[in-house]
Amino acid sequence: MGTLESLVEAVTIGEDEEAEALARQAMAEGMDPLEVVDGLTHAIREVGDRFERMEVFLPEMMLAAKAMQRAVEPVAPYLEERKIERERKGTVVIGTVEGDIHEIGKSIVALLLEVNGYKVHDLGPDVNALDFIKKAQEVEADVIGASALMTTTMPGQQEIVELLGEMGLREQFHVIVGGTPVTAAWAEEIGADSWAENAMHAVSVLDKAMEER
Amino acid sequence: MPAPPYKMWEILERARTGPFCEDEAFTLERFLPKMQEVISKYGIKYDPATPITRDDNLADALWQAGVEFFLAVGVLSVDTHRIMTFDEAELREALYLIPGEYLVGLGKDARVLEHRQVEDGKPPFVIFSPDISCDEEIFLPMCVAYLREPLADGFCAPILEESMGLKIKAKSPTELAGSMEHAMSLREAAKLVGRPGVFLVAAGTAESDVGQISISNSQWGVRTSDSRLVGGLTELKIDNALLNRVAHYQQFGCFTGSLTGPIYGGYAGRAEGTAVLQVAYHLMGLMVHQAHYQMNFPFHIHHTSGTSRELLWVSSASHQAVARNSKIISVSNGFLNAGPATEMVLYEAAAHALASTVSGANLWEAAPARNKHKNRATPMEARMAAEVGHACSFMNLSREEANALLLKILARYEDRITDAPLGSEFQECYDVRTSLPSPQYSDLYMRVKEELAALGLEFPY
Repeated sequence: MGTLESLVEAVTIGEDEEAEALARQAMAEGMDPLEVVDGLTHAIREVGDRFERMEVFLPEMMLAAKAMQRAVEPVAPYLEERKIERERKGTVVIGTVEGDIHEIGKSIVALLLEVNGYKVHDLGPDVNALDFIKKAQEVEADVIGASALMTTTMPGQQEIVELLGEMGLREQFHVIVGGTPVTAAWAEEIGADSWAENAMHAVSVLDKAMEER
Repeated sequence: MPAPPYKMWEILERARTGPFCEDEAFTLERFLPKMQEVISKYGIKYDPATPITRDDNLADALWQAGVEFFLAVGVLSVDTHRIMTFDEAELREALYLIPGEYLVGLGKDARVLEHRQVEDGKPPFVIFSPDISCDEEIFLPMCVAYLREPLADGFCAPILEESMGLKIKAKSPTELAGSMEHAMSLREAAKLVGRPGVFLVAAGTAESDVGQISISNSQWGVRTSDSRLVGGLTELKIDNALLNRVAHYQQFGCFTGSLTGPIYGGYAGRAEGTAVLQVAYHLMGLMVHQAHYQMNFPFHIHHTSGTSRELLWVSSASHQAVARNSKIISVSNGFLNAGPATEMVLYEAAAHALASTVSGANLWEAAPARNKHKNRATPMEARMAAEVGHACSFMNLSREEANALLLKILARYEDRITDAPLGSEFQECYDVRTSLPSPQYSDLYMRVKEELAALGLEFPY
C-alpha cells in the first residue's frame, strides 16, 4: 500500500497520530500536496456518506474528522508555498437559536459541512439573533444556518430573517433553517432561503445554493 | 427511607469546583474512549433476534458498565466547563436510600408510582402524554380527551405555541404567559373530568427555568403533588438553567422526573453504547437531577423514534439492568414513527409497551409522527400502550413469551419505518366538541386490538 492509500485509510478509521505522521511522510517523499488534500477530501466525504447510511456512527465520523485536521496540518505549508488555496465552497455561520439548548443535530450539520468543503463557524446553542448576524458580517459569511429543536424556539429563526431585513442585509446572506419541528412550510412562512431535513440534505441544498450564488 | 434530595447543595456546588474540561475534550477524550472500554470489558452485545432479551447476565453486565462509565466520565457543566464527579461510595448510598415508591397526585385521585421488577405482575403506572405541540383552541379539548382515559394514572399536556393569539418565544414574556395558560387550562381540564387531584406533569410550554419557576403555585398552577421534568444536554452535560430547576423543584416540594434520551447513532454509537448511556442517565438522574423517577426516550438519530428493533432492545436491556440492580423508578417513553389513526402507530405503541413493561419499566405514552408534527397525537395511541402494558402484567408474561409476540408485531411495521404514514391530526379523528374519538378510529383500534389478541395477548377486559 502506498503512502497516500495508507494516509486515506488512517483518516477513514480515525487514527489521528498515524494520519499526521503519514502526511509528513508524504510531504517528505515529495508528493503533490494538492493530490494529498484531494485524496483526503474524497475519503472524508465518503465517511460522511457512510454515516448517513448508518454504516458508521457519529463517534467514528468525529474521529475521522479529527484525523483529517491532523493530516492537513503538515500539508498546509506546502500548499501555501505553491500559493494554492484549499477549495472552499463557502463560509457558514451556524448555531442553535436563542432559548434552545439542543445542539447535536446542529453539530452534525456543522461537521458534515466542514468535511464537504465549507468553512464553518459554530456559535453553539442559545445564540441571540443579532449575534448570528454580527458573526456573519465579521467572517464575511455566505450562509447563516439556524437550528431550532423546540416549537417555542422556532421564532428565533424568524427573528434572524426579520433583523437582516431591517438592517438592509437580507440579500447578503443565504439563510437556511432546520431542526426536528422545522418544516419547509415554516421556512417559507418566515422568508428563509432554504430548509434542510437532515445533515446531508443541508450539504446538498447549500451546494446548489452556492453554485447559483 | 427518605426521598431526594441527596446531598443536593454539595453536588450542585461541584458544577463550580469540579475539574476543568472543555466541551470537545469531554466528548472526544473522556466520553468516547470510556464508552468503547466498558462495552468491550463487559461484553455488551446487541442481538437482533431478541429485542426483548432474557439474559440476566447481560442485564447485570449492562448495569456494571453503566456504573463504571458514569463514575469515570461524570457530568460536564457547559457554563462553568467543570466536571461534576461522584465516588462509588456516595452513589451506593444514594441508591440505598431510594424509597422505591411515592404517593403522587392528591386525595381520591392519588396513585402509587413505584419501582417495578422484570416480569412484574404489577401493572405499569401509565402517564398519558401527547408529547407534541397543539393549536391553542384545541388545548383544552385535547387535555379533556386524555384525562378521561380510564387507564391514565397521570397526564402531561401538549405544548402551546401561542398564548392569547401571540406566538410564544422561549425566554421572552410570551413564554411566561403560555406557561401560565398551560398550567391553568390543565387544572381546569382535570377538574372538568372529575379528577381534580390527578398526577400532572407540567409544563412543557415552559422551556426555560424562569418559565418553570413562574408556575409553581398550589392555587392555580403546579402543586407539590404534581411533577416537573429536568433534562440534560447531549450527552452527559448540563447547564446552570437546568440546575436552577433541580434546586427549585426540591425547594418548592414537587416530584422531579429526570428526562433523558440517549441518541442511537450519536455520541453513544450503536445499540450497545446507547443502552450503557441509558443506564448511566439513571444515575445522572439520581445524583444530578435529584430525581424521584427516570423518564427515558432513547431514539434513532435519523428517525427520531424508539420503536425500531435496535431501540426496543435498548429500552428492554437498559430497563432490565436498572430493575434488577436498583430501586430506581423507570418510566419508558414511546416515540412512534407513524401518526394517529393508522394501524402502524397502534402496532408501534403495542411493541413499545410490551418491550418496556416486561422489562420492569412504567410507561409514558406516546409521541406519534416522530414527535415532530403539531396536533398529531391522540389518547388512542396511549390507550393501546396502556392496555398492552396491563395485559402484559395480567398474563404474567415471561420475557421469552413477550419476545415471541414482539417479533410478530415488528413484522407488521418494521419495513415501513423510513416512510411511516403521517396519519391524522387530533381534530381530524376526534370530535373536538365532545373530546371523543371518531367511529372510524374506534373501529380501527378495535380491529388492531383483536388482531393482537389473536396473536396471543390476553387483555384483562
